[in-house]
Amino acid sequence: MSYLQIQQVTKRFGGLVAINQVSFVIKESEITFIVGPNGAGKTTLFNLITGVFHPDQGKILFQGRDISRLSPDQAAKLGIGRTFQLVKPLRNLTVLENVMLGAFLHTTSTARAADEARRVLSFLRMEKAMHLPARGLPLAMLKRLEIARALATRPKLILLDEVVAGLSTTEALALAALLQQLREWGISAVGGVEHVMQVVMRIANHVVVLDHGTLIAEGTPEEMVRKPEVIEAYLGSKYKEMGL
Amino acid sequence: MADALYSALQAVLNGLLTGALYALIGMGMALIFGVMRIVNFAHGAFLMLGMYVTYVLFQTPGLNPYFGFLGAGLVLFLLGYGVYWALLKPIRGESDFKQILLTLGLGLILTDGIQLLFGADYHQINMPLLSKNVHLGTQISLNAPWLISFGIALVVGVGLYVLVMHTMLGRAARAIAQNRYAAPLMGINVHRVQALSFGLGVAAAGMAGGLLLPVFYLYPAVGDQFTLKSFVMVVLGGMGSIQGAAVAGLVLGVVESLTSLYWGNQWALAVDFAIFLLVLSLRPSGMFGSQRV
Amino acid sequence: MKRPHLLAAVFCFILCLLVAVVVHSDYTFQVLFRIFLFAALGLAWNLVGGYTGQLSLGHAAYFGAGAYGLALFNKAGLPIWISLFLAVLLAVLFAGLIGGVSFRLRGPYFALATIAFAEVLRLVAKNLTGITGGDVGVQVPPLFAHAFNRSFYLASVVLTAVAFGLTVWISRSRFGYYLMAIREDEDTALSVGVNAARCKLWALLISAALTALGGGLYGSLFLYIVPDQVISITISNEIAIVAMLGGAGTLVGPLVGSVILETASELFKNLFQEAHLLIYGVLLVVVVLFLPEGIVGTLAQRLRRRAVVAPVVKAEA
Repeated sequence: MSYLQIQQVTKRFGGLVAINQVSFVIKESEITFIVGPNGAGKTTLFNLITGVFHPDQGKILFQGRDISRLSPDQAAKLGIGRTFQLVKPLRNLTVLENVMLGAFLHTTSTARAADEARRVLSFLRMEKAMHLPARGLPLAMLKRLEIARALATRPKLILLDEVVAGLSTTEALALAALLQQLREWGISAVGGVEHVMQVVMRIANHVVVLDHGTLIAEGTPEEMVRKPEVIEAYLGSKYKEMGL
Repeated sequence: MADALYSALQAVLNGLLTGALYALIGMGMALIFGVMRIVNFAHGAFLMLGMYVTYVLFQTPGLNPYFGFLGAGLVLFLLGYGVYWALLKPIRGESDFKQILLTLGLGLILTDGIQLLFGADYHQINMPLLSKNVHLGTQISLNAPWLISFGIALVVGVGLYVLVMHTMLGRAARAIAQNRYAAPLMGINVHRVQALSFGLGVAAAGMAGGLLLPVFYLYPAVGDQFTLKSFVMVVLGGMGSIQGAAVAGLVLGVVESLTSLYWGNQWALAVDFAIFLLVLSLRPSGMFGSQRV
Repeated sequence: MKRPHLLAAVFCFILCLLVAVVVHSDYTFQVLFRIFLFAALGLAWNLVGGYTGQLSLGHAAYFGAGAYGLALFNKAGLPIWISLFLAVLLAVLFAGLIGGVSFRLRGPYFALATIAFAEVLRLVAKNLTGITGGDVGVQVPPLFAHAFNRSFYLASVVLTAVAFGLTVWISRSRFGYYLMAIREDEDTALSVGVNAARCKLWALLISAALTALGGGLYGSLFLYIVPDQVISITISNEIAIVAMLGGAGTLVGPLVGSVILETASELFKNLFQEAHLLIYGVLLVVVVLFLPEGIVGTLAQRLRRRAVVAPVVKAEA
């Protein structure tokens, strides 16, 4: 079943075409990765799906409903969670409170929100940091906090913008192992990455390749790494370096 | 009918004379906002200080305010430069909230400090020139000191514009305005440029103060209304665009003058703010040019 | 609030009420009234400026709406308490207008719009002499006829208690968490489904209503008001400074701020006469540069740091 449909979406900023006639489909309980170098348009695409920007042309459907014109909070209420590439913690609140904010989407009770937040934090192995203020946490923790906050909203679809960037390989793989479980919970996920291909290979069902705002290929991870034009275009050198 | 037309024309011309001084004040504010994203709540207080410097120069060495305003500009430039390093640099990159409160506090200190030194009395300077008028035809006459202040403000304003648009300093300032994070990579000393910009912006207010001295009453709180007016100009002109602010200054002068003519002087300021709120609600990017400094 | 805290708060409240039995000097009552009035105003401002992080420098608009509303509705023939109620509604309406215009925008717009709106109100009040009396002023009916100063003191204590109670309740509710999320990062708040514009607006409406009550009380105590007194930028600044000094976004900050600021300005009034506002300027600069969390916020942070760091270190050892 197609869950999220991107249909011929174009977004311009002044003279720059950030997203150019992009179409693809994300299925339920699938993990899709959008691969592309910095500036390929991944974050713009996420901002379009979550209502931060609105497409100039084209439509975005979520569960059959047109969400192209929604505001970010409306998108969140429909079940689209997200993380930010440049982490955006609520700095002066504790880790628990940060995650409670996500949980408040489904309850007005502070106690229930705290319970929910604790459950999510223990899933992400962050219980120990629960009462620390978010400012001053190391990056690996902040990346997890982004995911925890989004998961606490009980999203049907979660957009993970560069959640493994800046992490060590060990940290990235540990996180990827956790992310793999999302499917068991019936959550579809879309990840955006620049180059951590190990993670993509390990957990993605589907890969979409963007270059300069244009979709240049899509398919399974195995298909993608065999396509010469994809490798040549730009997975290229980095991919070879990683020796996969 | 003809009389009504002449009085309207007279009001427009008077408005332009005032407007040029507003423009200078607004350009200073816009330069500061454009380069630093700081809304300078002490702008009017700096202007007031410029008036007092010019006043002191006039009273003791007897320097004509039309030269004295340069002294005010110099003093205010140095003060602004110093204020940047001492007070603003420590909170760079923090919320608007803090920067607004800091400049607000600074303005209160300047205003009340001057009141402690000079008292709250009103002062006005006396020059033979002040009562002279220049007649254009039989119906229109322009007040000589306003006319001179207008001319000088125009020259200074154009000078400031050229400085910002066509010199190294100006280019560096505009680079910072566009991208604060990339600027240092291009070898720009961000703090030095910001300090110079703040000094220049404040000096523009100070010089406008000096030019206002011959035609305005002088008292410690005189700057407050100009702080508020420069907000109006910066928002009207498109946040941070100095040419936008200049145009907005002229427009503001004319609007105030016409308001005074038709509704009475007491409504002029209220109309300023009404325009301001209207622009905020309808076109927050400003009415004139959206390009930043 | 934990049980011992709640008991302490109730105890303090009763203590403040009992003060009225001991004190007999009108001057003392008036100073105490001012302290509690600005504590209440600071608490009201804190909902917007502290918890939500939206800098209002125009609370004099609501304060003035309270004072003028009470005076004018009463002059039009309505009973006193109905007039006060309508005055509060008027302030809420103003808050709706300001919030509607400026909460869609980010950055310094809100602060600028609040000042501009308050100034428009002041000038309108000055110029519409037929209705407001202009600079000549207008009479405000006394809310309490009996035991004048004592009653006003007690009313200021009750208003502070109401504002405090409301703040406690909000800060523990989902709404309070939403406000803090908006302050910390509006994008993040939106991403978890917070309707930021609506939350900001609600915070402002509640804040305006409390401020208008304070304004009504103030005007009624003076019995006579002019625009430059109750809709002035000075009032707006004083309200903000009280909260900032004590600690914006903290529960007891505005209380502490009001005690310190009002005591200090009472002392400086005699020392510097008209230039006593200098103290506001100095306090603002000092708070921003050296005490960004305010007095209470800085103290709380010290304590929390000790409390938080300790167990973690133990666990590792």
